[in-house]
Amino acid sequence: MTVRASFFGSAAAAVLAAAVFLPGPFAAAQKIDMNVVDQPGYQPTPEEEQLSGAYEKQEVFFRTNEAPGTIIIDTSQRFLYLVQPNNRALRYGIGVGRDGFQWSGLQKISRKQEWPDWRPPPEMIERQPYLPRFMAGGPGNPLGARAMYLGQTVYRIHGTNQPQTIGHAISSGCFRLVNEDVTDLYDRVPVGTKIIIKQAVAL
Amino acid sequence: MGIALRGGALALARVGFVTAFVAGCATQPPPAPVVAAPSVSPDALVGKWGFAAYHRDSDRARTIKEALAQCNRPYVIAKGPNGGVMMNLADQAELSELVLKAGPDGKTYLGPAGDAATADDRQVLDVDPNSFTTVWVDPDNASRYGTSVYERCGKRA
Repeated sequence: MTVRASFFGSAAAAVLAAAVFLPGPFAAAQKIDMNVVDQPGYQPTPEEEQLSGAYEKQEVFFRTNEAPGTIIIDTSQRFLYLVQPNNRALRYGIGVGRDGFQWSGLQKISRKQEWPDWRPPPEMIERQPYLPRFMAGGPGNPLGARAMYLGQTVYRIHGTNQPQTIGHAISSGCFRLVNEDVTDLYDRVPVGTKIIIKQAVAL
Repeated sequence: MGIALRGGALALARVGFVTAFVAGCATQPPPAPVVAAPSVSPDALVGKWGFAAYHRDSDRARTIKEALAQCNRPYVIAKGPNGGVMMNLADQAELSELVLKAGPDGKTYLGPAGDAATADDRQVLDVDPNSFTTVWVDPDNASRYGTSVYERCGKRA
């Protein structure tokens, strides 16, 4: 399945073209797809959840015409930027859609949810028929501690109980952060926040 | 005839002597465990079920509702060839025949034939014609999968 939502307006494309992303030298080497199945119920240790290096949350220099508070997701580099004033942004490491499940577009946060419930998609039930068809939110839930729904799509920015997947292309099109980061982001952005999802690096 | 009877009596006496001798110098064998029949019939589990799970008791009520809502992709339990039920063990995509077992603690377990309350078993709780609940015995499985609720699709009267 290839999902390429065409939400981009020309204005947004022009703005993005003006944005300058600053990927680290590691980024190209990290574009590796993982073949990891979900682990419902798995609860990572605090050590596992502690990211290091580029994917650790950090403030970076970031030039864009987008207003502070805007989220810009760079799928190819596996970063989510929350635009800050004065050419700065908070940068979070993310996991993205695996090959064929990546997309780009312009969205808004339509809903926020603490400890979201999880419903494994049909193809996962087919592979892992022992999974419950619904798992109530909580520690160990594959969607992690927080979820932010993207418009009317099936996609979300959410947490994860698999911190080792950050920096990799593994999901079905959602964007995942470690629980500490997704909680931090959740507290910073309201419903209605503009989100720009892009695939190609625009230098 | 009389000789035969007398020979048989002698043989029995010898057996009795040997038995008494052996019993006198060997450890007393443990009494055979008294295994009560499980209180749940396999037929009670057969059918199509909405299947959901939770970790926090506060989520039980809404999880039951969600289980019912999952009847569009039910978990199907069929009767096994040996009188058990066909279900998945934890993390096993292939079905296995599981049997209901009464544990020494008086609880009902569901798992492979053999002793009750082993790591592959789950405890069966709150069984009624339209629902049942299970919890894995293995702590890791229990931690990962929480409490499972099964709600019958197309409820019985």
